[in-house]
Amino acid sequence: MSEQKPRKAAEPKPPRSCGWMAEFSNEHDLLEASRKVRDAGYTKTDAFTPFPVHGIDEALGIKPTILPFIVLCAGLTGLFTALLMQWWMNGVDYKYIISAKPFGITPASIPVGFELTILFSAFTSVLGMLGLNGLPRFSNAIFTNPRFDRATDDKFFLYVDSRDRYYNRDSVRELLGSTQPESLDEVLEDASPTTLPRPIWLASLLLVLAGLIPAAIVLNMRAGFSDLPRWHVFFDMDFQPKKKPQQTTTIFADGRSMRPQVPGTVARGQLTEQDPFYLGWDPDKKVSAIDGEPKHFVSVQGGGQDAAVGAASPAPQDSATPTQPPADGAAAPMQPPADGGTAPALDLPWLERFPFEPSDADLKLGKTKFEIYCSACHGYSGYGDGLVSKRAASLLQDTWTPPTSLHADRVQKQPVGQIFHTISKGQGKMASYASSLTPKERWAIVLYVKALQRSRNAKIDDIPVEQRSNLTETK
Amino acid sequence: MSLNYDKESIELPSSWKSKSSVLFAVGLALLVIGAVFALFTPSSGNADEQSALRFVTHSYLANYMFVVTIALGALFFVLVQHVARAGWSSSIRRIAELLMSTLPFLAVLFVPIVVLLYANSNALYEWNVREKVHSSVILSKIDAGYLTRNYFTLRALIYFGVWVLMGAVFFNLSRQQDSSGDVELTQRRQKWSGPFIMLFALSASFAAFDWVMSIDADWFSTIFGVYIFAAGMMAFFATMILICMSLQQAGKLQKLVTVEHYHDMGKFMFGFIMFWSYIAFSQLLLYWYANIPEETNWFRERLIDGWQYLAYGLIPLHFAIPFLGTISRHVRRHRSGVAFWAVWVLFAHWLDMTFLVIPNAGPVQLIPLFGHFLGGLGMLAIFIAFFLVRAANVPLVAVRDPRLPEALTYSNPIL
Repeated sequence: MSEQKPRKAAEPKPPRSCGWMAEFSNEHDLLEASRKVRDAGYTKTDAFTPFPVHGIDEALGIKPTILPFIVLCAGLTGLFTALLMQWWMNGVDYKYIISAKPFGITPASIPVGFELTILFSAFTSVLGMLGLNGLPRFSNAIFTNPRFDRATDDKFFLYVDSRDRYYNRDSVRELLGSTQPESLDEVLEDASPTTLPRPIWLASLLLVLAGLIPAAIVLNMRAGFSDLPRWHVFFDMDFQPKKKPQQTTTIFADGRSMRPQVPGTVARGQLTEQDPFYLGWDPDKKVSAIDGEPKHFVSVQGGGQDAAVGAASPAPQDSATPTQPPADGAAAPMQPPADGGTAPALDLPWLERFPFEPSDADLKLGKTKFEIYCSACHGYSGYGDGLVSKRAASLLQDTWTPPTSLHADRVQKQPVGQIFHTISKGQGKMASYASSLTPKERWAIVLYVKALQRSRNAKIDDIPVEQRSNLTETK
Repeated sequence: MSLNYDKESIELPSSWKSKSSVLFAVGLALLVIGAVFALFTPSSGNADEQSALRFVTHSYLANYMFVVTIALGALFFVLVQHVARAGWSSSIRRIAELLMSTLPFLAVLFVPIVVLLYANSNALYEWNVREKVHSSVILSKIDAGYLTRNYFTLRALIYFGVWVLMGAVFFNLSRQQDSSGDVELTQRRQKWSGPFIMLFALSASFAAFDWVMSIDADWFSTIFGVYIFAAGMMAFFATMILICMSLQQAGKLQKLVTVEHYHDMGKFMFGFIMFWSYIAFSQLLLYWYANIPEETNWFRERLIDGWQYLAYGLIPLHFAIPFLGTISRHVRRHRSGVAFWAVWVLFAHWLDMTFLVIPNAGPVQLIPLFGHFLGGLGMLAIFIAFFLVRAANVPLVAVRDPRLPEALTYSNPIL
């Protein structure tokens, strides 16, 4: 709908007529007139009102727009774009297992599908509306008449465009005149010059040139070489007189900027690190076991991957203490993860007995917590057949390491302290549960695990005589 | 303002007035026949008797929710029209007012459920018999005093009390206006509509928790009340459309309900189809993602034993097909088009209530399900009978509503 403006040079010709505009003082007259104009067959018409007038569309014979169909198509495009994208990303290109969920399209894809549907629809609505209306445009001939300003105030205008198929200057004037408008004006083409003023040209040019400067600098840097050192804007922030972790120093003999704990001291919050109840092993025995080694080398962290422990105690694998095979056991996949399978065995003075008197309540607590935190992977009976494990296995994840069966021989032989330590610090793929479970709860789980292990190896003699009949009855 | 109107044209057709008792009898008969079918199980035995009773009681609850959600939708519609000071709806609002006035009658239909509780049966609500409950979660809710028959009954009384009171206030004020035409009556309703909507939201939500969600008290969903509300609103608009259309077929309300009203009610129906889907999906997605056993079990029960056909069927039947069917304004402005989709949506609503309640009673069995369907028809017949009783001597339009002229002249803009 581009306005065609003949560019005749200097000749002072009267401006071209663009149509007729009738002014009314209320919407009823406007509706009346609109119907007349519509019934006369004119279609390139428009009405301008200060507020929405019900029924004006029908009075002017405006056909419903096709915009909704365009938006519907755009929305569907957005939906399928989102689904295709997610299917490709998570189902084909980069399969990534998230909480044992299937790959490709899942219920979780729907919110994204919804968002893209809305995004595409919204952009199409706005741009389509502008396009169908022929917007944006710099001027409209109807603005040339100052009377028209009151279209946003208290007057109603009906406009018949000269590009209408049946347009005839005199008959339109006559038709509009017969509707008794307040005034009837011919809409004349905007005679003001259509070229941009020179200063705006210049300013735009300057802006474009200025915009090129950063790009030019970057290009120059990329293409050229410089012998100068890197330029530091804030030198004293980039180079501060202090040491960061893992840096070297000449101040101390060992060359480390991180300082080990002074032997014999206890830091705030570290009291628990000396208590077997919180550790699962006895730090006092540890000191004597690794003769000559400074205590702080080994006492800070346990854990399967602790190189310090591995180095400090090269663990002569004597048969008296149960040794630990690679963390994930024989069931580990073809390519055992580097962090799990090759971890050095831990050899700490594990507690062989519970550091408190276990009670029935502890066992109940252990069962509850085990079923909440452990059973998902290890299974309710501890065979390593929890839901997560089953699901991962069904997805044929070759990277999946099955959880350890708690009835495996080596786990059966583990002292209670070692199981406690595993729960506290994690092992292989299993994360630490110290943040979810209090030490007491962890001990309760150890108690329950021990009970589970016992139950799987129970003999008929273990059951009190008077209760043996129950067993056969329920079978 | 004086309005010239033909009194005949805004009254219930005289032939309809006598139908209410017939419909009520037919409805009761269908409920009984439905129950007989629902009791039918291929084999006999103690366990089956129990499961048959479970099915019948669950069927009754599902069918009861099917109609009570419609009445609640009507109550909310009346409230929200006042809160928004809407003019367009003033010529159809009386129909909704009559629909919401069936709530006192519907309260009577809730009595069998309470009787069941005091008969010490756990057929419908497992928590009712503490000794037979195994789940520690349910036990904790019983011991906390929430899921007990006395408190349950007290809460049901409160819900119905609140609804009946709100409905009565609005209905009486609207009726007074019929004779006085006093604008102040409209203003009073507008003043109360805001607080009443809050009361409605709380009571309807908790009613949904109590009556439907607690049949499986292990499971919990805080959005469940909104789910029921969304479903009810959708079904209410379908009901409104069908009632208006039948009245016009009988020669009533000719110029009072225009194609613009059908267009707008169709829009609302369309919107609530979408809203229901949004809520239903939001509820599903969180449980699916978290994948915690005690939360997913509710969905699992609905995805096994034949119920999966219903569960997956709801996606096209309750969302995709009616969504695409009512998306076009041409359909919504076409009387037979709106009527078709209104019937569809009512059926989908019945399926939805079935989906929520019946899987708790056991696997799919076709003959009892047929009985359940007959029961649904019966409940609908009783509901219509209630509506006819309420509408018998009341003008079907709020004749002197100050916004009536607005409703008669407005039109949807051509987009």
